[in-house]
Amino acid sequence: MTTTAFPPLSAAARRRRIGGVVRRDLAALRRSPVRIFEIVFWPTVELVVWGFVTVYLRAGDVPFIVSTLLGAVLLWQILHRASNEVSMGFLEDIWSRNLLNMHVTPLTAAEYLSGLVVFSLTKVVFSVAVMGTLAYVLYGFGILTVGVALVPFMAVLLVLGWALAIAAISCVLRFGEGAQVIAWSLVFVFQPIAGVFYPVSVLPSGLQVVASFVPATHVFQGMRDVLAGSPIPWDRMAAAAALDVVYVALALALYTVTLRHARAKGRLSRFGE
Amino acid sequence: MRAVRAPAHPGRVAILQADLLAKRFGPVTAVEEVSLTVAEGEIAGLLGPNGAGKSTTLHMLLGLVTPDSGRIRIFGLDLERHRTEVLNQVNFSASYLGLPGVLQVREVLDAFARLYGLRRPAGRVAEVVELLELGPLLRRKVIDLSSGQQTRVQLAKALLNRPRLLILDEPTAALDPDAGDRIRSLLVGVAREWGGAMLITSHNMREVERMCDRIHFMSGGRIIATGTAAELAGLFGVADLEEVFLKVARQ
Ligand SMILES: Nc1ncnc2c1ncn2[C@@H]1O[C@H](COP(=O)(O)OP(=O)(O)OP(=O)(O)O)[C@@H](O)[C@H]1O
Ligand SMILES: [Mg+2]
Repeated sequence: MTTTAFPPLSAAARRRRIGGVVRRDLAALRRSPVRIFEIVFWPTVELVVWGFVTVYLRAGDVPFIVSTLLGAVLLWQILHRASNEVSMGFLEDIWSRNLLNMHVTPLTAAEYLSGLVVFSLTKVVFSVAVMGTLAYVLYGFGILTVGVALVPFMAVLLVLGWALAIAAISCVLRFGEGAQVIAWSLVFVFQPIAGVFYPVSVLPSGLQVVASFVPATHVFQGMRDVLAGSPIPWDRMAAAAALDVVYVALALALYTVTLRHARAKGRLSRFGE
Repeated sequence: MRAVRAPAHPGRVAILQADLLAKRFGPVTAVEEVSLTVAEGEIAGLLGPNGAGKSTTLHMLLGLVTPDSGRIRIFGLDLERHRTEVLNQVNFSASYLGLPGVLQVREVLDAFARLYGLRRPAGRVAEVVELLELGPLLRRKVIDLSSGQQTRVQLAKALLNRPRLLILDEPTAALDPDAGDRIRSLLVGVAREWGGAMLITSHNMREVERMCDRIHFMSGGRIIATGTAAELAGLFGVADLEEVFLKVARQ
């Protein structure tokens, strides 16, 4: 009777279940043009605004600031999208009262989150491709001038975005749908601290210490260094990667604790009512 | 009230065994000392007035709510420790659940077939589509379906993994009498054919009388009586289940 399914703890079963989450989200994306519009719209608006700011600044003869600002916009979008797309996948289960259906499947928490993460990756890649093309066409800024450093930069930001999303999901699980706003805004807490558009050296010294514990700080500083002609700061990237691991571990721990709490308090069945 | 315990299927293996479950939500005691078994192939009913603790009991059996105390074994496995293995062969449908509205019916079923780790999702989807006569709805978005049609999709989802234990919380609440009747026959047929067990709640006494081999009557968070519809009527000295219900509810 059970030969119709893979053994539940096998790798094949786990892959199949993660694939279920990904395919569901991809189908949802295909069926909702507004969401496709959104992945193009916001990045484009940001890019155009900052692009013109740099054009203006260039007129004032500040040479390489153009590329650093556009590079910052592009990299920031990676972090922002990675975080929001994962949160969105989870919130859709709440909005459609599908959360209980998901929680009575054999899907584990790790598999569920992995599915959301893999799906977000496809959207981020698409978003970045659109923006990279636009930046080149409109302002002649080739994101590829950042070079191979782009790979570690993007990786650090993606992982950080996912960690923040998992933390945000946990907040919604813990505090209910009213906490949705956290899911959309948590990432912005890091914008002023991480020195996205300016070096952290302009921050007050206390904040500079905080900034050094944010993985994104090292990416944005690294990007400025690379664009200024310095080699890739591998020591910085190693520190950022290590911080990422800590952030993910903390986020997963938070999710585990809030899920246990939600089950204990009977909260799972109270969403969407 | 005196409790009766009737072993409905002597000799048959219990695939679900819950011992002394209790659950409080703050000041509210939702469930208190509930013990129950469901045997292989049995259709068991959980009956009782609003707020009796039926949904809470089902949610504990599905791992959605952690009991304050008590123990749950399904297929001989401890639910808490073997969640994935157990849930792989269990399924659930309830009148208060939704499905991702923007998806077409076929996409929903495909996704859930994968979430249950099925080897051949497409083949299994085709089977449940035929069983629930969903063919004409396959390319419609869930959000555009009537609530009765959505219920049928929910039930199709619940049969995808050929569950050995199917848990249904008021499954036919949104169905018209004809559709309800056909779904009941279908569920009974499925249970007989696959040998799967079911645990059902319902406020439709005729449905319960017709489908259930054994009924657990809940009130105030406890199971106050267990037996067949006839046994319960006899125990309470009334004609049928409906009158049992009224008698208990008005006490
Ligand atoms: N998550 C929860 N948080 C707080 N109280 C809850 C929760 N779930 C159930 N309750 C309370 O527990 C009691 C039992 O509720 P339950 O939903 O199990 O009843 P029920 O028998 O399914 O009723 P109905 O026939 O109306 O569906 C009720 O008093 C209810 O208010
Ligand atoms: Mg209920």
